[in-house]
Amino acid sequence: MARDATYDFDFHQVEKPHETYTGTNVRLRYFLRVTIVRRLSDIVVEKDIAVHTLSQFPELNNSLKMEVGIEDCLHIEFEYNKAKYHLKDTVIGKIYFLLVRIKIKHMELAIIRKEITGTAPNLCTETEQIAKYEIMDGAPVKGESIPIRLFLSGYDLTPTMKEVNKKFSVRYYLNLVLVDEEERRYFKQQEIILWRKGDSKVARQMVTEK
Amino acid sequence: MAMEDQEKLLTEALNQVKKNAFEMKTCLDNNKLMDALKYASNMLGELRTSLLSPKSYYELYMSISDQLQHLEQFLIDEFQKGKKISELYELVQYAGNIVPRLYLLVTVGMVYIKAKEGSRRDILRDLVEMCRGVQHPLRGLFLRNYLLQCSRNQLPDGNTQGEQDGSVHDSIQFIEQNFSEMNKLWVRMQHQGHTREKERREKERLELRILVGTNLVRLAQLEGLDIGIYQKEVLPNVMEQVIKCRDAIAQEYLMECVIQVFPDEFHLQTLNLFLKSCADLQDTVNVKGIIIALIDRLAAYAHRSDSGGIPAEIKLFDIFSQEVTLVIQGRAAMPVEDIVALYASLVNLALKCYPTRIDYVSKTLGCCLEAFKKREVSKIDSSNPVYKELIRLMKVPIETYEDTLTVLKLENFPDLFELFVFQGRRALSLFLVQTIVDRDCIIPSSEEVEQLFKLISPLLINQPDQPKEPEEDDDFVEEQWLVGRLVHLLKASSPDQQFVTLSAVRKQFGAGGDKRITHTLPPLIFAAYKLVKQYSTLQQQDDKWEKKCERIFQFCLQTTNALTKVKPDMAQRLFLQGALAADQINSETIAYEFITQAMSLSEEESSDLRSQQATITLIMGTVERMKCLGEDNHATLRTNCAQASARLLKKPDQCRAVLTSAHLFWSGKVAGKELQDGKKVLDCVKRSGKFAQQCMEKVVQTQLFVELLNSCILFTHKGNDEVASTLTQLFDKVKEDVKGLESGEESEQIRKHFENTLEYIRNTSGHFGLSV
Repeated sequence: MARDATYDFDFHQVEKPHETYTGTNVRLRYFLRVTIVRRLSDIVVEKDIAVHTLSQFPELNNSLKMEVGIEDCLHIEFEYNKAKYHLKDTVIGKIYFLLVRIKIKHMELAIIRKEITGTAPNLCTETEQIAKYEIMDGAPVKGESIPIRLFLSGYDLTPTMKEVNKKFSVRYYLNLVLVDEEERRYFKQQEIILWRKGDSKVARQMVTEK
Repeated sequence: MAMEDQEKLLTEALNQVKKNAFEMKTCLDNNKLMDALKYASNMLGELRTSLLSPKSYYELYMSISDQLQHLEQFLIDEFQKGKKISELYELVQYAGNIVPRLYLLVTVGMVYIKAKEGSRRDILRDLVEMCRGVQHPLRGLFLRNYLLQCSRNQLPDGNTQGEQDGSVHDSIQFIEQNFSEMNKLWVRMQHQGHTREKERREKERLELRILVGTNLVRLAQLEGLDIGIYQKEVLPNVMEQVIKCRDAIAQEYLMECVIQVFPDEFHLQTLNLFLKSCADLQDTVNVKGIIIALIDRLAAYAHRSDSGGIPAEIKLFDIFSQEVTLVIQGRAAMPVEDIVALYASLVNLALKCYPTRIDYVSKTLGCCLEAFKKREVSKIDSSNPVYKELIRLMKVPIETYEDTLTVLKLENFPDLFELFVFQGRRALSLFLVQTIVDRDCIIPSSEEVEQLFKLISPLLINQPDQPKEPEEDDDFVEEQWLVGRLVHLLKASSPDQQFVTLSAVRKQFGAGGDKRITHTLPPLIFAAYKLVKQYSTLQQQDDKWEKKCERIFQFCLQTTNALTKVKPDMAQRLFLQGALAADQINSETIAYEFITQAMSLSEEESSDLRSQQATITLIMGTVERMKCLGEDNHATLRTNCAQASARLLKKPDQCRAVLTSAHLFWSGKVAGKELQDGKKVLDCVKRSGKFAQQCMEKVVQTQLFVELLNSCILFTHKGNDEVASTLTQLFDKVKEDVKGLESGEESEQIRKHFENTLEYIRNTSGHFGLSV
């Protein structure tokens, strides 16, 4: 090659089964690599391509409702309106207090991301708190019902990924935390499934393509 | 937390607010909404504190509320410019901390409502619901107060149900939910913290009560709230909340708030529910205060001329009478003075709403008596807290009835009177009499006299439980004068009846003792003389009138005699007055009797010299006025007067008295005709002159002669020739004497007197034949 040249290429129907992911211990990327082979050293240029896995509204999406507690101390019933949320969704629910014998200072909802890498028995879990959202200030009494309204679009989230290439998982949890006056923390973690919703333009394209 | 620490914390917080507010406003000016919201959020973060007292927190809250108005105004302007900020409601909910988040949400929500973006009803519902997240009492109360204040003019008030934008029913639900949550938080404050801090907590709670009460005010301000909605939707829910919370401070405040905030017409139609709720309140609640507040309010309503009055179908007195009985029965530990206060209120109700129903008042007084009997209360003195309340109770009917004597018809009134010790009975008696006198209430017959005097007996006679003999100090004298004034209110239907009444009064007054009768008998006697005159004017209709007058004079004679030992001067004057009264009806015998009684007192008493002279002058003045005396009687009196005059001790007194007696011989009348005995007059004048001569001091002598001259001029003027003939001689002498006076203050006066005399002479035509 002596001067500038343009070469077309075309990869037809490439399988892109997974979403691009950049995590703590693992990275999943799609990229285009151009290698110019030479005698001694090759020239290699890479260009990353972002891939989103889109889903549709799940057919089955029950609410998460559970009663938890510590004997003679604290009994609550939490309710989240869905088990599966898309990334621009809103977690709507409530916390109902059945028994309160501790002095609660406040209550918050945290979004936890767990990145699990490796294969059993060598599993490594990286936990990161993506969001902390105060849902109650002050001490409630028995019978009190506290509303939850958490907008997921305010946070940097990815869809839930399970056993990608049998190599890693990314899972999300809602962590309900109650803090008492002596800074003791009572918590209940609950997994939620996150999925990515296509916006209407892309959805139409997908349909026409198929 | 010490005062200084509080101040420091507050100042720091306010500084932060100022800083963040400034940044926020700068961003708004530069149209940087997101940044402005960040600073607003920072500013609101100060409200997350747990370190400030309610007072300080309130100041901080006010400062921040003011600043938020800038944000609100900016957003409203943006909407007006046509900018769509529809995601803003969602956007502000991203804030991580709940307190700033909710304040911003309320602010934005209000902007949406004002810009008519979205359903008013839905936004209000959402806001009042989301506020649940703040369970901390102080922070929650202020947040919900912010919601209430911001929404003040945005509440739907129309009557259409189910309308998208909302109706008055939606507003009621909104406010009631906010109210019940706020009340819950307020009550929760009672149980926070240590028992030793209870007093401080309760004080802080009272400081915050207006926050909760404002919800009720807002309900009352809804134009669409009519009596039907109040009965069905509002009061039952409010009462439920009040009773359910089982907190005495909340119950006491909220019940009174309901009374004050909603119109009286509403109360009249919901009495049963309200009073039933009163019965369910905590034991420590001051139920009496609540019931009294309601009764007084309704009584005032009934009394106002612009109100409709109490509807006839509402038996207000019966309802409250029953209620008061229930309350008293249900609270065995209620102090007696509270019971009395309740009955006082009931009496007030009866008087204001049913003024003609005397039986209502009697009945209430009876209940009060019963209560006293049960608690074995008697001999109430001023150290007893019941004293003040019972006096107040008793005064209400006295003050209210226009004809104060209606009080005499109240069955149980005298019995309650008797429960006081002397002090109390006296105070009430005074008040009663003062009111009667001030109002000029007519006492028509001896029946009323009996009843009234029985009540006011502490003023009339010494009481067995009186501390000591009454002193004749100013209070006592004023008290007796007041009693005396009652006499002037005695106005019977007929003169005969009037005499019966006066006799009855006489009997009562007589028992009062010497210190009292000196003040009370004189007005009675004068009233009797007035009666004589009345009989005289009506003599055509009554042929027995003269006999009746005689009886009255006998009555006066006896009555005046009662005073002779105690106050002889006064008795004397009363006799003279009687003589005049008798003279007016031409009764010679009686007139003569009264004058001689007066004169004999002069001889008996050994009073001081000055009063002796005054008395004899008074007697002669009276005799001079007599018309009905015949010659025999008149001659006897004339002689006696002259003799009495001459018997005075000091020469000047003799001179003057004899001079005065001269008049008896001139203008004194026998059988209606003037004597005009010029010779006898001259005799007196000459004798008077002799006495004057016998005065050693020249100044005194001269003064007497000037007076003598004046008298002679008078007689000359009247046509006494004998005197006239001596005038010139006398005049010259006086002129000389006056000229020869030494200088001095007294001399000046005499000179002036003589000058005046000269002046008079000069102004009379003829100058009395004198050369001036």
